[in-house]
Amino acid sequence: MEYAYVNARIRAMKSRLLGRPFLEQLINKPDVDSIIADLERTSYREELERAGVQFSGINRVEVAIRNDLIRAFRAILGFIKGGEEENLLTLILQRWDVQNIKTILRGKKIHAPASEILDCLIPAGELGEAALTELVKQPDVKAIIDLLATWGVPYARPLTRNFKEYSETRDMLVLEYAIDTFYFEHALSTLKSRDTEDNRIIREMLVTEIDINNLRTVFRVIRDRMDREDAKKFFMKGSSELDTETLYSMVKAGTLEGALKLLEPTSYRFLSGIPQEYVSAEKISAFEKELDRYLVRKGISQFLGDPLSIAIPIGYIWAKYAEVTNIRIIARCKQSGVPDKELREALINV
Amino acid sequence: MVDFGIPIGAGIAFGLGALGTGIAQSKIGAAGAGTIAEKPETFGLMIILVAIPETLVILGFVVASMIMIMLV
Repeated sequence: MEYAYVNARIRAMKSRLLGRPFLEQLINKPDVDSIIADLERTSYREELERAGVQFSGINRVEVAIRNDLIRAFRAILGFIKGGEEENLLTLILQRWDVQNIKTILRGKKIHAPASEILDCLIPAGELGEAALTELVKQPDVKAIIDLLATWGVPYARPLTRNFKEYSETRDMLVLEYAIDTFYFEHALSTLKSRDTEDNRIIREMLVTEIDINNLRTVFRVIRDRMDREDAKKFFMKGSSELDTETLYSMVKAGTLEGALKLLEPTSYRFLSGIPQEYVSAEKISAFEKELDRYLVRKGISQFLGDPLSIAIPIGYIWAKYAEVTNIRIIARCKQSGVPDKELREALINV
Repeated sequence: MVDFGIPIGAGIAFGLGALGTGIAQSKIGAAGAGTIAEKPETFGLMIILVAIPETLVILGFVVASMIMIMLV
């Protein structure tokens, strides 16, 4: 594949992403309508016009930015169609399939309205909007898994295997762990077949996600005082920096302070910078937010990698995702009247 | 007796310069096409960027000419 062509195109697309000054301008707007007026002067114009036919206000922004994100991802896949690189990029985009299925399962478990579940989905993977809408229409978790199996979606296998345990414990973590493990194991085994620079870049991103998922599990286990031995079975393998033993010793530390101390020699030492009041109050949402930011930052930093490799498409995917997330946060905060200071804290600063 | 070394040297000087230009222009041309597809306003700049490696083959031509003068 000709990376020179594809990556030049993607870099040109990146130059159209909205910078920090534009986001500041959006933050200073008084309401959602004035945010829409500003966004209409950017590359979101086309999608905003389309969404404007059916929706207004916050829903118009949500639908437009979501469709723009999907269009951008589909465009990149179109550029690299047919090559080995397409399979590699699909591995990364499949993370959104996993995320969407998990969101639908969680939503169904708590009996959330279909429209609310649909709002939280990002159909950027192989399961398109129509497929996700059909999944959301299902009455319960079992029906969703059955439908996935009927369609021959591979994620149905781990879900079916673990459904019995879920129905006994009613613990969503069982299904979430099963689908995550399936995705990461499948992705890492695909990458093993060839030892190229592209494979190394994708593996690095996947391992970072594995680490972040494992750290979330550690923090939840500590906060909820879960059984330490039980926790061990929810750790995913694949990372050399945070292996099962390290994670288990973090859980054994028993407190967030103790766990953070064990992270000092790793690349996750930045978590020590979280204010002490959050640590003492065991407010793990602050940790999760920081880990999400780290993942996005790491994804975007791929732009500094080899200019003739898959690093550039990966960097763009994360940069676009961060932009869309930030616009969504700004629009939602303006809608619900959140003060600007809190809004700025909620943004993914990259 | 004609000394074949001189024309062969001139040929190498010109040929390698042309090859280098070809390789460089293929990469720059592909990247330029990608950029123009997204930003048509960069067309003029891209023409200049694609033309820059021509200097390699021009230098090769000058060197080859200087070598050939030795034959005269």
